[in-house]
Amino acid sequence: MAMENLAFLIPLLPALAFVLTFFLGKKLPSGGAIIPIVAIAISCVISLAITVGLLQNPEHFVTQSVHWFAILNLGILIDPLAAVMLSMVSFVSLLIHIYAVGYMSHDPAKPRYFAETALFTAAMLGLILSDNILQLFICWELVGLSSYLLIGFWFHKPGAASAAKKAFLTTRVGDVMFLAGIVLLFSDIFTVFNGNLPEGVYVLQFNEMFKLIPDLVAINSTILGMEVSHLTLVTLLFFGGAVGKSGQFPLHVWLPDAMEGPTTVSALIHAATMVTAGVYLVARTFPMFIAAPDSLMVVAYLGAFTALFAATMGIVMNDLKRVLAYSTVSQLGYMVLGLGLGAVIGAEAVGVSMFHLINHAFFKALLFLCAGSVIHAVGTHDMRLLGGVGKVMPITFATMTAAALALAGFGIPGTSLGFSGFLSKDPIIEGAYLFAESTGNWLPYLFAISAAFLTSLYIFRLIFMTFTGKPRTDYGGHESPSSMTVPLAILAILAVVFGALTRTSFYHFIEDNFVHLDIEALAELGGYHLAHHGHEPLLVLWMPLIVAVAGLVIAYLIYNRRVVDMSSIVSRNNPVYKLLYNRYYQHQIFVEFFSIKIIYEGLALAGFYSDKMLDWLVNGTSTLLIEAGDSLRKFQTGVIQHYAAAVVAGVGLLVILIKLVMEVF
Amino acid sequence: MLPILSLIVLIPILFSAVTFLTKTKEQARISALVGTLITLVLTLYMYFSFDSTTAAMQFEEMANWIPSLGISYHLGVDGVSMPLILLNAIVIPLLIIYTWDDVRSASNRFYGLMLAMQGAVIGVFVSLDFFVFYIFWELTLVPLFFMVNIWGGSNKKHAGIKFFIYTHVASLVMLLGIFGLYFNAWALTGSPNMGIDHLISQFQFFESGILRDAIFLALLFGFIVKLPVVPFHSWLPDAYSEAPTAGSVLFILLKIGGYGLFRVMLPMLPFTATPSLMITIMGALGAVSILYGAFLALAQKDLKRMIAYSSISHMGYVTLGCAGLVSLSVSGAMFQQFSHGLIMSIMFMSCGVIQTATGTRIINNLGGLAQKMPKLTVIMVLGFMASLGLPGLTGFIAEFLVLTFSFINVPIYVIIALLAIVITAAYHLWALQRAMFGTFNEKLGEIVDISSYQTLSMGIIALLILYFGLYPSPVLDMMITNSEKIVSLMAVMGV
Repeated sequence: MAMENLAFLIPLLPALAFVLTFFLGKKLPSGGAIIPIVAIAISCVISLAITVGLLQNPEHFVTQSVHWFAILNLGILIDPLAAVMLSMVSFVSLLIHIYAVGYMSHDPAKPRYFAETALFTAAMLGLILSDNILQLFICWELVGLSSYLLIGFWFHKPGAASAAKKAFLTTRVGDVMFLAGIVLLFSDIFTVFNGNLPEGVYVLQFNEMFKLIPDLVAINSTILGMEVSHLTLVTLLFFGGAVGKSGQFPLHVWLPDAMEGPTTVSALIHAATMVTAGVYLVARTFPMFIAAPDSLMVVAYLGAFTALFAATMGIVMNDLKRVLAYSTVSQLGYMVLGLGLGAVIGAEAVGVSMFHLINHAFFKALLFLCAGSVIHAVGTHDMRLLGGVGKVMPITFATMTAAALALAGFGIPGTSLGFSGFLSKDPIIEGAYLFAESTGNWLPYLFAISAAFLTSLYIFRLIFMTFTGKPRTDYGGHESPSSMTVPLAILAILAVVFGALTRTSFYHFIEDNFVHLDIEALAELGGYHLAHHGHEPLLVLWMPLIVAVAGLVIAYLIYNRRVVDMSSIVSRNNPVYKLLYNRYYQHQIFVEFFSIKIIYEGLALAGFYSDKMLDWLVNGTSTLLIEAGDSLRKFQTGVIQHYAAAVVAGVGLLVILIKLVMEVF
Repeated sequence: MLPILSLIVLIPILFSAVTFLTKTKEQARISALVGTLITLVLTLYMYFSFDSTTAAMQFEEMANWIPSLGISYHLGVDGVSMPLILLNAIVIPLLIIYTWDDVRSASNRFYGLMLAMQGAVIGVFVSLDFFVFYIFWELTLVPLFFMVNIWGGSNKKHAGIKFFIYTHVASLVMLLGIFGLYFNAWALTGSPNMGIDHLISQFQFFESGILRDAIFLALLFGFIVKLPVVPFHSWLPDAYSEAPTAGSVLFILLKIGGYGLFRVMLPMLPFTATPSLMITIMGALGAVSILYGAFLALAQKDLKRMIAYSSISHMGYVTLGCAGLVSLSVSGAMFQQFSHGLIMSIMFMSCGVIQTATGTRIINNLGGLAQKMPKLTVIMVLGFMASLGLPGLTGFIAEFLVLTFSFINVPIYVIIALLAIVITAAYHLWALQRAMFGTFNEKLGEIVDISSYQTLSMGIIALLILYFGLYPSPVLDMMITNSEKIVSLMAVMGV
């Protein structure tokens, strides 16, 4: 296979495109968009070719590695997991770049836009094909940088500048945990080898790390009176990184604010690709998670909780993009839950979660691009000002409805008939049921099924409020140009059929990822008891569809037929509405109280005054010495005899001192 | 063979004298640039013929000077000093280009002091005799003192004298330590010898443990005040922020405190009476500096003071990496010195540009500068990102090595340092957001972007940060070779 030798070009071409567009973009038509488009198209072709090669020959992973410095390497590992991610990311990125030619056509800073999205794509592709945890971390941070730059793309808007900072800082909390995980892992590996790391082996490579899992589980520390395996610590610290990047509770707060960036950025980075990096990290290190006691339980609970928590806020937002942002957080919760199900379904969990990740990328990118199409045409984000947009923008309406049906999960249980979102979300909910049955933990299932109901409710609320009924304001509007609608159509087709076409082969493909490892033995190390799928009761099987239909019907009745007067519910006096609308007062808690009151006003200013004290002490000492010097000057009498006496006294004192010192030592 | 080390010390000093004698600003800056470029060429020649696989001294020069006292003119360079010499040789010519059009400060005296400083600092790095070392060490004080005093800000007199006295007192304590080494070794061997390596090798034979610890602590004090570490940093914020931009950068290039840790302290450490106590002291000082510096930077309203505290925070990694006592943690600490020199240069230069353009450094009085100064913004964002430890840039390599490998021996201090990372990101981003982004503050009036001289100078440093961040081996390999040798001594002593 010649293609695999070109694997290094996958991240390198977009990186090159970044440099070229940055410096030459101004001189080229449409801000030099053609450079990243061509570069990413080639990356996409190489990725797809490698994926096809792997499909035919699943055990033949692409691996390349070069020495970097000291005991570290840079390398490429393309296994089925990486291959599907690479193909998805390069493909979605390509479509969004094409779409952006139309969407950004009026913006004077186009070269910077295309350079930064190219940088993002390079970093994200580099993250996916990393063969070691450090390189993954490096690209992880670069992805965060691009996200910072792109959220703050319109940096002259104070809101954008502030949202960019918030995103960087919040994810940074997770990143520090991730880094701490690497630090702890390295020191444990050091312990395992007794300080003599083997020559010529890069211990941070994933397959080398996985070999050491049994030794790492055995290292324990007592923390708060509990005996904790270091592998549990390491995996939970990694998961901390994922919580930040993939917007899980409580580090999800940055994601809705990130909508300050251009909508194309929201689609590319904050819906389809970057936010899935955390999920990918857990999937990538899944063998460590399954061998680490309790880790997967934490993952499952947090994922399920996030899915529900975010969905509750999704139903009260009035901003198109914010609804989608909370929807993204919620769906990422499902993916994380899917991975946590590894506690009962083993390596299959990775396939389940990744399948939802890929499907979500298509339909969520589509939702955002449709929203972008609406915003581009009408010039507002606020759904309250819209209504009846479907009449002027039929293509956007049709594609967005397809995406909504995919997100809400419409399909026939027990068959392969359904929108892609159904085919991937359903296994997660089913898995949560199995998880509940075999471990007795019912909460994740309850959260997941309630979130499914809310998902359907908020997305059809959005559809009905925006596209149906009569226009509530005079917004004008027109259908978008074809450079925008063609990507919409392509993504819509994928959102409808991708799931159905690939379901069986996808799971098998991802399962091949771990054929080299004995997952069941690892699960035993982690103390997880793998269960097998039984037959669920009929009600459980149909439940996801029932709640989805219920959500649709309720949304239709309220927002289209207006059978309920919403003004009694949407009111400042309704405490539930108030709580949701204020987003559980997260801003007050995290920003105003914790960041400003505790960290800034408390600690930093305490430091400021203690430093003043220290400075005062130093200055005070010198003043004291100067005054002492002044009074000593009075001894300078100018009388020779006085000096001679002083000299004699001094010498005598010195002699005594030296004698004393000699005796002490 | 050329006495290349003597040349790279003497040429800047010689050109310093020539520059002082020039009549006009044009002559002064050309003379200064020529002097530093010759030094740069010689240094690059030395760097490219340097063998990074050996920890031994290279390009050694040796001549008796005062035989009766065992003082000799002994110079040499190894993997500890080579990168720091390179740093000085590269940044100082760029600093001259940066100040090319500076109306306020550029003059014969200004450039003369700058060159004198370069000679003195390189002198410290190449000296292998404590006497010569101490002379150069003290000599570095003089140009900086005048820099602050002549071209400083409104509070320059106070800042200058405070810096001078504070670090001078520390140097005297260090001198006592040197005398302790010298006289005790003389008593042991029967002959005087000021050679650094000789004295360090005799240190282990001193009988009294209290004496050994006292000598160690005296030397340590001298070095860590220069570094500086909290709580001996009070001189720094005033001096750094009152100095003119070029002076601040010269302060940053004054990496002699950290250098002393590697050259003198670490080889002596295993032979102190209480090595574990000394490790605790160094680790704790490092970790506290990192956290304290970060919080203080967050509390600053003046951009330059913020950068000054940021510098304290970053230098904590040097002490922490030393306390880590693994070859890669020590290499990380050495690399931090190199990286910090480049990154802080960009930070102070950016701050200088802003001050010249707007007349203020108070962060809240700025705002939206990115719209008026796009070129500066690109370079400054890169510098800030490097400073907050973004991978792909030099700061990350150093911090990663220090954190990861210090964790093996001193995990607690690494955990403290990790806590500071988010705070570090916070003050950098906060400053960028307030100063550069958001709506432009119309009160600032007409603003022009950086000049092409400044773009050139800062652009080259930015590229170096990127280059060594992606590929650190050209300087890191020699550091690793030498730190392996240093650490192997510890292993022998079972520390």
